[in-house]
Amino acid sequence: MLRFLVLRLARALLTIALVVSFAFVVLRLSGDPALLIMSVDAPPEAVAAFRRAWGLDEPLWRQYLSYFGAIASGDLGRSMRDGRDAIVLVGERIPATLALTVPALLIKLGLGIPAGIHAALHRNSWSDRLVMLLAVAGFTVPSFVLGLLLVLVFAVQLGWLPSGGQDSWRHAVLPIITLGVGGAAVLARFTRSAMLEVLGQSYIRTASAKGVPWAQVVRNHALPNAAIPTVTIIGFMVGSLIAGAVVVESVFSWPGVGRLLVVAVANRDLAVVQCILLLVAATMVSANLVVDLLYGALDPRLRRGGSR
Amino acid sequence: MPSRRNLLITGGTLLPRFAIAQADQRPSITVAVQNISTSGTLEPMREQSNVGFRVMPSFAECLIEMDWTRTQRPRPGLATEWRRIDHRTVELTLRDGVRFHDGTLLSAEDVAFSFSAARFGGTAADARGLFVGTAQQAASKVPPPEASAISRSAFPAFERIEVRDARTVRFINGAPDVTLESRLTRTSGSIFSRAGFAAASSWLEWARMPIGSGPYRIARFRPNQDLLLEAHDAYWGGRPPLKSIRFIEVPDVAARVNALRAGDADFACDMPPDQIGEIERAPRLAVQGGRINNIRLTIFDKHHPVLANPLVRRAMTHAIDRQAIVDALWAGRTAVPKGLQHEFYGEMFQADWSAPRFDLAEARRLLREAGYKGEAIPYQLLNNYYTNQTPGAQVLVEGWRQAGLNVQIEMKENWGQILGRFPGRGISDNSNTAGFGDPVSSMATYAPGGQTWESGQWENDEAKAAMQVLASSVEPAARRTAFRRMLEICEREDPAYTVLHQNATFTALRKGLPWRASQSFAMDFSPRNWGA
Repeated sequence: MLRFLVLRLARALLTIALVVSFAFVVLRLSGDPALLIMSVDAPPEAVAAFRRAWGLDEPLWRQYLSYFGAIASGDLGRSMRDGRDAIVLVGERIPATLALTVPALLIKLGLGIPAGIHAALHRNSWSDRLVMLLAVAGFTVPSFVLGLLLVLVFAVQLGWLPSGGQDSWRHAVLPIITLGVGGAAVLARFTRSAMLEVLGQSYIRTASAKGVPWAQVVRNHALPNAAIPTVTIIGFMVGSLIAGAVVVESVFSWPGVGRLLVVAVANRDLAVVQCILLLVAATMVSANLVVDLLYGALDPRLRRGGSR
Repeated sequence: MPSRRNLLITGGTLLPRFAIAQADQRPSITVAVQNISTSGTLEPMREQSNVGFRVMPSFAECLIEMDWTRTQRPRPGLATEWRRIDHRTVELTLRDGVRFHDGTLLSAEDVAFSFSAARFGGTAADARGLFVGTAQQAASKVPPPEASAISRSAFPAFERIEVRDARTVRFINGAPDVTLESRLTRTSGSIFSRAGFAAASSWLEWARMPIGSGPYRIARFRPNQDLLLEAHDAYWGGRPPLKSIRFIEVPDVAARVNALRAGDADFACDMPPDQIGEIERAPRLAVQGGRINNIRLTIFDKHHPVLANPLVRRAMTHAIDRQAIVDALWAGRTAVPKGLQHEFYGEMFQADWSAPRFDLAEARRLLREAGYKGEAIPYQLLNNYYTNQTPGAQVLVEGWRQAGLNVQIEMKENWGQILGRFPGRGISDNSNTAGFGDPVSSMATYAPGGQTWESGQWENDEAKAAMQVLASSVEPAARRTAFRRMLEICEREDPAYTVLHQNATFTALRKGLPWRASQSFAMDFSPRNWGA
């Protein structure tokens, strides 16, 4: 188990180092932060001064070594735009993002899994077709389209909810629904597929033939076996709690990590982008680690070191 | 037992406050904007963008103001009068009774502070960062080097402020400059409270919430989120008509329109012309705005092998149907300017000058004379950084194609990919803002220190000499001649750019709001423009 954890950790650190390096090269080669932050209307002398002050006139390799060295020593740098420590800036935005993504995750789980199970247990019925129709619609409609549609109906036409911003709980309703609906649709599809696969297995037929009540067959045999692929998807959803609302935060002017990421990338505010990437990578890696551990809990063969 | 005198004093102190509180029925408004500040600060010596200029006049004021809403001329601001002492010196008399947002009264010392090293930087400390956080930099009171550079650019020959007495200051320049008064009208000439700066813990903290004397004070600024301004009831120009103004960042146009329609915003800025008709059809909404002090341009890189021949560039200037762009893309709501100049340049305005006429035959003749054989000319293009930029580029390319020019659009993502020095840099888009009523404000771009010159797109020794005369001569006739020569060189003989159309901005708002759009990016919510 320890070897497993150490290996996973080493792989995670390598992944993070590659992500950070890739982001550094792409961001630095594709735009000049000085021109973007100072604006094209600033005098060239000011843009040049900004460049010098932040070391952007240094050779790229030296910038990279300097930056990577700082990260290795635990310094994530300062925002070139804001002047404050990147970690402080990002930390300020995390609660706002979690205020959307955590309730949205609950909606995904609360709607998606029961709907998928129901559809699988009533395969080819009208309710199965309805669930799948809604699920396909849910994950094919882009979140910005769904968001704007919800705003048009509930904010512009009915006037029930605000169109954007973060002043009260009412401002969170539409973005949470926008985020939740798409994820619930994905989960419903995956759960249905996993359940159908399990329900076709011989051990399900055997249990039924032995006279075990159907509800018990589903609860004790079908659900645990169908849970493994579903848990994988949930793992990804948990991993994207921090930066999984980029589009929705922009549509609803919600000041979270996603919106900060958009602005930071647009301005090539490297320290902030890197800080968010590190955070996202760490969250994703942790979520995957938890998923791996859950596999063991769900599947006794994995606990005993066998393969699925 | 309180005496009758004490009761009277207490009553006299409390009653007006109670009355004010009771009577404060002023509306609060919300303004949805694409961006509040590109630099994350509200200090004009760092925030130089057009979007920053929109909010600054509400909280910061200059000694001399520019009336962008009505006359397009300077008017008294924090100075009630000013006079020339000599070609290098302007003496200004400060307004009495001006109170900053921190309650202190404006004095000559505040003016001296506003033009001191505290804001101008002087010899800025070495602040090399390489993205690494250092506590002393973040907590420093020394302005960052870019602020120093902006101050040098705004006041290139500034020498010192001389305090004559509590109400009189002299602005002393190192060289003759007839534009000194005009330069003072720009946001970089804003006057801030010296005590406010002293009370701030760092330059950065101060730059986020500078303490000025405008009709509204900054109550809260959250970069990328919102800016809350509250009425400064001690404003010298009368009680502000609004209780508060909240600027909120809504990057998406559709979301800004939705915010307005849903009643979450009272104003929605930066409306593209194709949205205007739709908005105006809504019974409760209106659109205001129009031409502003900014002109859209096409810039030529004269070092590109094909564009090196000025005849090719001249041909391009004649193959643009500017009026078609104005009519088709702007619904006729803007105009083709008479070259890179504005009528508010006064006696410097060259009324008989014009943009190159649309003449495909002339363009073809020039191309034949240039020996052009259809070589590709790259056109580095941003995706609608400017309103209607991409459709405008398509109109341009089609016109050039009709003249026989082979222009290839290359989509780019940011300005670094446009202004950076790289092989194959050709044509690009730009705009030019006239910050004050003199051609120096627009033509400086095409001289040493200017963006086009410094990015290596275009240089011309004669233009440099003409600019020196324009910037430093005190003879109106010599300056007029120099400006004319600049226009001839930059627009005809050795084109650095060609004008396309005057820029325009449109603001959607709730119908019936007693506000008037200005002819610049600035939004004026002062008593003189709300309900006036």
